[in-house]
Amino acid sequence: MIQYLIRRILVFIPMLFALTVIVFALMQAAPGDPFSQKMDPNIDRAVYEKQREALGLNDPIHEQYLRWVGNAIKGDFGDSLIYKGRTVADLIAERFSNTINLGIMTLLITIIVSIPIGIYSARHPYTPLDYGATTFGFLGLATPNFFFGLLAIYVLSIQLGWLPSHGTVSKPGIEGFELFIDKIRHLILPSLTLGLAGTASYMRYMRSEVLDVLGSDYIRTARAKGMTENTVLYKHTLRNALIPIITLLGFEVGILLGGAVITEGVFQFPGLGTLFITSIGNRDYPVIMAINLMLGFFVLLGNLLADIFYSIVDPRIRYD
Amino acid sequence: MKFKKSWLLLLSFVLMLGILAACSGGDDAGTEPEGEGTETEQPAEGPQKGGTVVGAMDTPPSGQFNPIFYEEAYEANILSFIYEGLLSQDENLNFTPGLAKEWSFNDDQTELTFKLEENVKWQDGEPFTADDVVFTYKLLASPGYIEAGGIRSYFAGNLVGYEEYSTGASQDFQGVVKVDDYTVTFKFAQPNVKALSDASFSIIPEHIFKDISIADMPAAPESREAGKIVGTGPFKFTEMVQGEQYVLEKNADYWKGEPYLDSVVWKVVDQAVILGLLETGEIDFVADPNGFQAADYETVAAMPNVEIIEQPDFGYQIMGMMVNHRAAGDKTLDPSKWTVNEDLKDQKVRQAIAYAIDRQAIIDGLLYGRGIVQNSPIATQFDAYDDTNPPQYEYSADEAKKLLDEAGYKDVDGDGFRENPDGEEWVLSLNYPLGNQIRERSAPIVEEYLEAVGINIDLRQPKEAAAYFEDLENNAQDWDLYLVGWSLDSTDPDPTGLWDAPAAYNYSRWNNTEADALLKEANTPPEAFDKAYRNEKLSEWQVKFGEDLPALILYAANSLWAHNTRLHGVDVLPYSFLNDTHLWYVTEE
Repeated sequence: MIQYLIRRILVFIPMLFALTVIVFALMQAAPGDPFSQKMDPNIDRAVYEKQREALGLNDPIHEQYLRWVGNAIKGDFGDSLIYKGRTVADLIAERFSNTINLGIMTLLITIIVSIPIGIYSARHPYTPLDYGATTFGFLGLATPNFFFGLLAIYVLSIQLGWLPSHGTVSKPGIEGFELFIDKIRHLILPSLTLGLAGTASYMRYMRSEVLDVLGSDYIRTARAKGMTENTVLYKHTLRNALIPIITLLGFEVGILLGGAVITEGVFQFPGLGTLFITSIGNRDYPVIMAINLMLGFFVLLGNLLADIFYSIVDPRIRYD
Repeated sequence: MKFKKSWLLLLSFVLMLGILAACSGGDDAGTEPEGEGTETEQPAEGPQKGGTVVGAMDTPPSGQFNPIFYEEAYEANILSFIYEGLLSQDENLNFTPGLAKEWSFNDDQTELTFKLEENVKWQDGEPFTADDVVFTYKLLASPGYIEAGGIRSYFAGNLVGYEEYSTGASQDFQGVVKVDDYTVTFKFAQPNVKALSDASFSIIPEHIFKDISIADMPAAPESREAGKIVGTGPFKFTEMVQGEQYVLEKNADYWKGEPYLDSVVWKVVDQAVILGLLETGEIDFVADPNGFQAADYETVAAMPNVEIIEQPDFGYQIMGMMVNHRAAGDKTLDPSKWTVNEDLKDQKVRQAIAYAIDRQAIIDGLLYGRGIVQNSPIATQFDAYDDTNPPQYEYSADEAKKLLDEAGYKDVDGDGFRENPDGEEWVLSLNYPLGNQIRERSAPIVEEYLEAVGINIDLRQPKEAAAYFEDLENNAQDWDLYLVGWSLDSTDPDPTGLWDAPAAYNYSRWNNTEADALLKEANTPPEAFDKAYRNEKLSEWQVKFGEDLPALILYAANSLWAHNTRLHGVDVLPYSFLNDTHLWYVTEE
């Protein structure tokens, strides 16, 4: 197992390396650069030309890439070209904790809501509650994030005043337990919004997986042996039904880290998604590279974790 | 069984709809109680001390709070409470005293001497003196400033010795000289009509920045961190949550008097949420750069606790017409190397295009009437703006057709589109960028208007801004019409940077020697110091622009700002209402 893990992690390196080459090449191939959309009639274009030169943007692409790789290996991801005076590491660190909080909260909500409901629906199919869950599932899948987010803000925040509508904290300078509670309160609406579609689809997956497994031969055998319904369900059914869900969750890690742009926008929740998108729009090369590298790493890591979890839920799966 | 199933589905669907309806039904119920607050408004009470107001912006500032390095309007919002310049501007855009109480020019208008206010202290208690002024301008002129990311060297560009000092050829900068602690002289290489504008830059403290090299300055905590930033303004920047909230607390020792408010907080809130919070009073004001949307005007106007400020903006959206193209691959701005754009070379064609577009209808339709038709590219707030003499191009499809016929552009093959005078196919490309929804929506409307008079328009796919502006700058040969928006300076009306033939932003590559000569006259001392003379020359130039028409100004959207009625003492200037904030006060209801 350990050997397997080491092998898997070593494979990360060439994959991430290839990723940086591709992203760097694509980025350079895209038209425009950080200065092409800066326009102020007072400012001579020569000023921007000087800044391009100073940043090395006029150098040949391979030189720029090698310079970037050289620094990145040393852990230096450079300075942002747009967020003046800030290092890429600093920018990402600031957003990363917000994104992680949002991601964890969303995953928790997704799992806590979808799995029990999915199981219930599968055990009691074609009952009113199952139909209710199904309806919720389709509505959840069909509702765009921004719409649900705005609706949630309008009702729960503006009309009822229960939860904050924007940001990650209510004011600077609070600490300790108060800060913890405050952060949780700020997380609820964005994570509900972000988790809506996920919850709905996991619920559907869970329902069909459990239904599928419940109909299989070994469950009939287990029942025939006289096992209690709970043992059948939690020992035999769940483990088998969870395998595809784990695969999906493995992918979800990468998606949650990189794909919350709309939700982050509606709640002005400073996370990686909005940073990533604005950096692409502004051609903030160092930030784009660093975020891509990070996302690549987490997608690989998510898949590795999923593989490890397989072997936990299904003892037949062994890695050596 | 089957029946039961669909019945249940239907029921749950109806239930969901019911929930949604209940949500929107809450609207009326929720708004009423808040209305009561306005009745208690009693202006007679006079200013009261204390209180906090909350401003909203829809995009987080990038986090650079040093006046010589920041770039965006979002930082400017915050900085306007903290830093001050020697001069300010009044409602007529005339310069008024700021940190300088009076000023005078020497006889040949090359030297401008300021007497500074003597009781001004930096927010950390140090006295403000002429040294700080010299220091600030020296930084703007210093070698390495641009390489460090600075873009405001143009404030120092006209000063004596700028060239030598900024290139490192000279160690000594004589452009701004201290006479005594409270007297400072700006020396210009030539008599400078924009001297006051050049001298209006925000002053930063020497004692804070003197030991920081220019290259390290953007990253220094003194440029970025709340609590470390020191200005002379009415509010101190004390705390922030990066990207979310920026807290300013009053500077009790402010030289114009202690501010009434205890604090001002800027919050970053999505555009779609701002209105709701404005109504509940969680947000007190919303200002530049985006204010609120014209489409929401009625909603905001209906809020009893909110007052709207509507006035013309310093800027407009144009449809440029590429009169010339640069030679392929040519990066210089030498008009003698340009080639004529055959498709748009005829002045009558350009005028026909102007007549063919109903600009008022675009303003009514896309901006809900919250904008103006403008016929000259100078901001309307300046008295240099000429409203009457330039051609007005009131919408007339007949006039457009007549002009096109006269120019020889007629539909000879009967396909509904006009051919050029040689009888060849004539297609104008219309290009536009993404990033401004109203502009994006105006492009197909323009296309429709032009096709209605028989001009075949190739409406190109919109491009993402970075790509679009690169093409525009390279002046792609196959471009004819292009949409772009300009924000204008509020300190000086001079349009040279946009429309002089060799100007980089003259994307139409308009090369009209008479017009250029007029611009030159309008900016050449000593005559240009006479405002009437300068305005006259600019007026003549505006007429030339209107006749030759290198661009049609499609619309100028109004600024739409709003503030809660509990906030008093707001003095609106043409370019902002974030001024004299020490006089702002709130009445609690």
